[in-house]
Amino acid sequence: MESQEAGVQKLVTRTIALINLLFFGRLGDFSKDVPATIEASTPAEIRQRLTTDHPTLGKELSEPQVLVSVNQMIVSWDQPLADGSEVAFLPPVTGG
Amino acid sequence: MSLDAGNLSHKQFMRYSRHLLMDDIGEAGQQKLSNARVLIVGLGGLGCPVALYLAAAGIGELGLCDPDTVELSNLQRQILYTEADCEQLKVSCAKRELSALNPNLQINSYAEKVSGQLLLNNYDIVVDCTDNLAARQLINQHCFAEKKAFVSASALGWEGQLVAFDFAHNPSLCFNCIIDKDSPEPLLNCSNSGVVGPVLGAMGSLQATTVIRLLLGFFQQHGEMQRYDGKSGRWLNLRAAAKPQCDICSTEIRE
Repeated sequence: MESQEAGVQKLVTRTIALINLLFFGRLGDFSKDVPATIEASTPAEIRQRLTTDHPTLGKELSEPQVLVSVNQMIVSWDQPLADGSEVAFLPPVTGG
Repeated sequence: MSLDAGNLSHKQFMRYSRHLLMDDIGEAGQQKLSNARVLIVGLGGLGCPVALYLAAAGIGELGLCDPDTVELSNLQRQILYTEADCEQLKVSCAKRELSALNPNLQINSYAEKVSGQLLLNNYDIVVDCTDNLAARQLINQHCFAEKKAFVSASALGWEGQLVAFDFAHNPSLCFNCIIDKDSPEPLLNCSNSGVVGPVLGAMGSLQATTVIRLLLGFFQQHGEMQRYDGKSGRWLNLRAAAKPQCDICSTEIRE
């Protein structure tokens, strides 16, 4: 029974990767106290954890149309992350 | 490059001499620009430099679409207009200035919001200089369906964004793959948080350059996004992938 539970536990455990963070443009103004790296498995998890420790930045990251990229590729918020990836957050730019 | 004037008049030869001197533009390239029809949607901070550079470059036919009149607060960045233009239609003032710059062009003005009907006019490329997602998505949808090129930019504060799509040569990856059409508009816009004029100038100049590259066959960056932060002086280039479930361009959805 114990070994079965351990197996289930293993299946649902996600990889936690060490991620380099980049806050582009005006998001940089809200991220001065944020460490350069974080451990997380998805961009959504990064946002969730930053919201806890840095609520002002977290609010900016929750705005509509914020883009997230991994190693210069635009991805969805649930993209699995690999160790050493650079995750960049870009605020919406809509004026003309 | 041949120095024969060919189909160009002596005056045109002088006017476009700095294009004709370039081996990868030359007279053949100038003819392509002269034969082109480009629609500019939005005649604000982006549309002004786009229209000025495309008119100067000799794009044969320009469509100008904007329902607004000039306001004093526009003059900090909308470089086609003067104080005397306030309360006049932007498209009328722009047409007057662009015709004075280059009288040989056909300039069509549309003092109305962009619509599906307007986009049915036969333009080769649509340049998105608007300030809202709904207009961008309408243009994206139309250009995808008609296999036309679509050059989009935007700016806010110190920041600018450029992304272009060549749907004639790429069957998927569209604006909706990057920013979903159902996304709400962000709280911040130029009206409530400001914008630096030359940032719009930089992005508009890049849009005009992208139009020229598309017309001359040099464009290879379908769906790539360039971001500029004028405050830090930094650029970021981003790639994007077609969304498998995109409402606009996914073959899975359409078939």
